[in-house]
Amino acid sequence: MKSSTIMSEGDSVLIHEIEELQSSFDKTTKKLIKDIKRQNKIMTRSDKRQKREYDELQNRLKEVQKLQLAQKELLDSFIKLIAGAIDAKSHYTGGHCERVPQLSMMLAKAAHDAHDGIFESFCIANEDEQRELEIASWLHDCGKVVTPEYVVDKATKLETIYNRIHEIRTRFEVIHRDLTIEALQKKLAGDDESEVDAWLAKEHQELVEEFKIVARANIGAEFMKDEDKAKIHQIATRTWVRNFDDTLGLAHEEKKRVLAEKTTTPQVEKLLSDKQRDIIPREHFDYEEYERMGFKTKVPKFLYNRGELYNICINAGTLSYEERFKIQEHIHMTIRMLERLPFPEYLKNVPLFAGAHHETLIGTGYPRELTKDDMPIPSRIMAVADVFEALTASDRPYKEPKTLSQSIKILSFMVEDQHLDGDIFRLFLKSGVYLEYAKAYLKPEQIDEVDIEQYL
Amino acid sequence: MENLIIEETKYTPRIVLDANEGIIELKGKSYPENTFEFYKPMMEWLEEYFDGNAPEKIVVNIEIIYFNSSSSKLFFDFFDLLDEAKDEHQIEINWIYDEENDSAEEAGEDFIEDFEDLTINLVSK
Ligand SMILES: [Fe+2]
Ligand SMILES: [Fe+2]
Repeated sequence: MKSSTIMSEGDSVLIHEIEELQSSFDKTTKKLIKDIKRQNKIMTRSDKRQKREYDELQNRLKEVQKLQLAQKELLDSFIKLIAGAIDAKSHYTGGHCERVPQLSMMLAKAAHDAHDGIFESFCIANEDEQRELEIASWLHDCGKVVTPEYVVDKATKLETIYNRIHEIRTRFEVIHRDLTIEALQKKLAGDDESEVDAWLAKEHQELVEEFKIVARANIGAEFMKDEDKAKIHQIATRTWVRNFDDTLGLAHEEKKRVLAEKTTTPQVEKLLSDKQRDIIPREHFDYEEYERMGFKTKVPKFLYNRGELYNICINAGTLSYEERFKIQEHIHMTIRMLERLPFPEYLKNVPLFAGAHHETLIGTGYPRELTKDDMPIPSRIMAVADVFEALTASDRPYKEPKTLSQSIKILSFMVEDQHLDGDIFRLFLKSGVYLEYAKAYLKPEQIDEVDIEQYL
Repeated sequence: MENLIIEETKYTPRIVLDANEGIIELKGKSYPENTFEFYKPMMEWLEEYFDGNAPEKIVVNIEIIYFNSSSSKLFFDFFDLLDEAKDEHQIEINWIYDEENDSAEEAGEDFIEDFEDLTINLVSK
């Protein structure tokens, strides 16, 4: 029996349909399996890739962090290098740029820890804010890189960078005179000796006393009263005869100034004088920029006035009006330098914090004549730190360091005059920062007993 | 048939489909926002191409530096298309990758494994 005979026509069609279905099912299943395998493959690859990318990202991040740290260290070193250069430039200011940040940071921390009065809302919220303060205090005097040393270091009134040809010429004058005198002495050998001697002794004595007066005034330790100045002017009227050409041996800048005067010889000269040549004109000063920067300090007409009388008659200290302005210009330069730096957002207050340490609370400071409201707490902290460091520094060869109690007394006067902030002054005392700083940076003999109660 | 050229963008590769020369080229990154939408013109072009418009010899150069998962999926579909056309055409595929790019190399290996009948060359630069 053949199977075909058993199957009906209908069965055969059905089987065919089933077979076709099966084949299509197989195809679909195969395709599905293939697709699933592909999907898995894609997913596995994708996972693997993601892990790789994640690792890569982590590595990059670490690299970026490393670079950031390196950059921060570089910036820090650079800042300290500038501060160090300024400190090294003048032994008169010694470690000022290094110690002011120490004291400022101590005070800032105390202000952060205090919760009363003006300090209620003050805090150093994070490392960035801490850094902003640090950088500002390290750079507070960075403009001093352009201040001429002979002004910073001007130890006596008559000190300048000096062409010593003048002194040498004076010696020639003296020798010239000695020869003349010797000749006269020989001629006059017949005079009453004792009378001449007495007269000469008196004259010499007077001259010596007058020189002492001039020399003492030159130191600048005492205030020049009107009568002191009158005496100097009287001494100045003594004369001597110049026989040499004082335009020789000069560089062309000085020569230009000297040629405006009478220089024929022999010339009767005053013992002390203010001459045309002593005035150094102020050239190339950008008044517009000065105003644009908001600097308010009056600009002296001349760059320098080296007149002998003018300088000897300086009221107090050794600096003339022009030189005092030259010193004050360090803060202009600090502000210009810092405002020009592209500080990132979190350091944007550095110029404000650093540039206001010579302002007072009442608009009498410099360079912008700010008042208390314009000065954030860090600026006021830096003002106190700046003064206190300067008072107590023991590395200034031209002055004795003040004791702790003397320095605090002076701070208290400045607080009374509204030059320094009373809240910060009292914080300085109450927090014990004054003693902490003293123990770290003052000589033991400077640290005396301070009754802080009287100031609180 | 017209050539199809799609210029490179930040997220998508440059695509050059040269009908006469029989050159198919993909070069760049493949991170389209909508992968299938982006490759749709290319896939449609290829279907029409292999529907009697393609020359005997065809060279495929693929140099994809970075690609997302849906691009991988699409490349499988793309290879499927080539796989179907391989009997009527002599197709040579160059999978080009940078020697430091392990992901690209491994993807190439996957394609070789999946399409044993296609000529896929791994070309490291
Ligand atoms: Fe200063
Ligand atoms: Fe200072």
